[in-house]
Amino acid sequence: MAERSLTPEQRQRYARHLTLAEVGAAGQQRLLRSRVLIVGVGALGSPVALYLAAAGVGTIGLADHDRVRLSNLQRQVIHSMDGLNRAKVDGAARTVGALNPDIKVETVGETVDKGNAMGLLGRYDVIVDGTDSFRARYLLSDAAYLLRKPLVHGSIFRIEGQVTVFVPGRGCYRCLYPEPPPAGAIEESEDVGVFAALPGIIGTIQAAETIKLIIGVGDGLVNRVLLHDTMAMTFREVRYRRNRACPVCGDRPTVLGLVDYDAFVGVEARS
Amino acid sequence: MTDARHHRQQILTEVGDAGQRRLERAAVAIVGIGGLGSPVALYLAAAGVGRLGLVDDQDVELSNLNRQIIFEECDVGRPKVEAAAGRLLLLDAGLRIDARHENVRASNVASLFADYDLVVDGTDAFETKFLLNDAAVMLRKPLVHGAVLRWGGQVTTVLPDGPCLRCLFREPPEPGDVQTCEEAGIIGAATGIVGSVQAEEALKVLLRVGNPLSGRIFQHDGLLGETRTTMFPRDPDCPVCSSRARITDLARYEEQVSPRGHVLV
Repeated sequence: MAERSLTPEQRQRYARHLTLAEVGAAGQQRLLRSRVLIVGVGALGSPVALYLAAAGVGTIGLADHDRVRLSNLQRQVIHSMDGLNRAKVDGAARTVGALNPDIKVETVGETVDKGNAMGLLGRYDVIVDGTDSFRARYLLSDAAYLLRKPLVHGSIFRIEGQVTVFVPGRGCYRCLYPEPPPAGAIEESEDVGVFAALPGIIGTIQAAETIKLIIGVGDGLVNRVLLHDTMAMTFREVRYRRNRACPVCGDRPTVLGLVDYDAFVGVEARS
Repeated sequence: MTDARHHRQQILTEVGDAGQRRLERAAVAIVGIGGLGSPVALYLAAAGVGRLGLVDDQDVELSNLNRQIIFEECDVGRPKVEAAAGRLLLLDAGLRIDARHENVRASNVASLFADYDLVVDGTDAFETKFLLNDAAVMLRKPLVHGAVLRWGGQVTTVLPDGPCLRCLFREPPEPGDVQTCEEAGIIGAATGIVGSVQAEEALKVLLRVGNPLSGRIFQHDGLLGETRTTMFPRDPDCPVCSSRARITDLARYEEQVSPRGHVLV
């Protein structure tokens, strides 16, 4: 029944999904009807956007304020030389559109902040965090919880990375990291190295987790963080729970709306 | 001096200026430009591996595009190696790309290994995977093995004098015993994870840093979100890498391997 509503071209394009027991025609329809927002179209956002587009996620939102720089091309494989100095969201939209014209891409060429986060995230089913700052991670986690949307978190640092999924009511980024690191303790700048293929692993796991959330299959990385060390080539899993005292998703929340995240990660951390 | 393009990895102590030059001088063959070859080629090109040999005799099909992210829809019908080379040059026009529109067989595997410092296995046929393994052992070249099916896959790195694929799996499975991706299906992101691990492994071997998956196999189940790495020793009776090896000559490969009926011509 469901398979008949796929076009002949879709049946060919997604043929390898249709034979998978966990996906099939019904799962493919769910993917095609889904809306995913990827915040940050850089190292992590590149594989996330490419694999979600390839899988046939029907609407992909890409949010990033930045432009493509030459130093991005060492790992941000969705971009290319002809996109240099142009908006990342435009270059990425072109690449995924060429890979799969069957899907719709919505671009937001601005910073996601306290002012626009609720409206923007509210239009999507799943949020993927491909950002590279603590400010953005806390902002996305709070906004996703307040909107009761699942958030697929990923982050990388030098040769290490991590992935986890925050499902509302089962823990958030603040349950895992109640406080941001002291300002300056972890550098967030162009002076931190990144091993080229590391974001490929973390971003692709984020894409797989997103697909599982949409189709509703498998065991998601909920209440567990997968930690990867590329040099040792090890993967370690650390379990965590919702923190009942969490100011956002705890039993008696005190943060009921978005806050000033620059102050939260900067000023408050130093006090 | 770091170059602007590779600055972010050159400032890693694991890479540095000397490591970046080593990558620039390196030549890597990627056999199979499909689900695995796509991320391997993109990440090795992005990292600045100077010369990439792309080996595949197939053309791009629409059913490839749920996972083979190096291609575009307008590439359907073109040789994969040509389309992939075009994409890599858009990323970095300074790369040397050898587009080898051919299949790997016992008769050409030795010349392939001779032309490159390291080989990455992105193929989908067990016979070819074992041929690449046997050639890597005999010709003493590093091989990064990868395989995928449904939601998961595996990676191991075969280094000279280390355990090989046959220490772990003596023979390829009988045809029909294992389903192919076409029969069983495959999620694109599974190939992305396995291919990215292969790219990390290749970079580490070229840079001579970290612990590659030599004598270890990485196995990933994306459906369960589980990943494990298992150690395995050299098999003293391994048919290819032990002192009792019976597969010793690529020129006579078919007759050495043929007891199992796998024809590799």
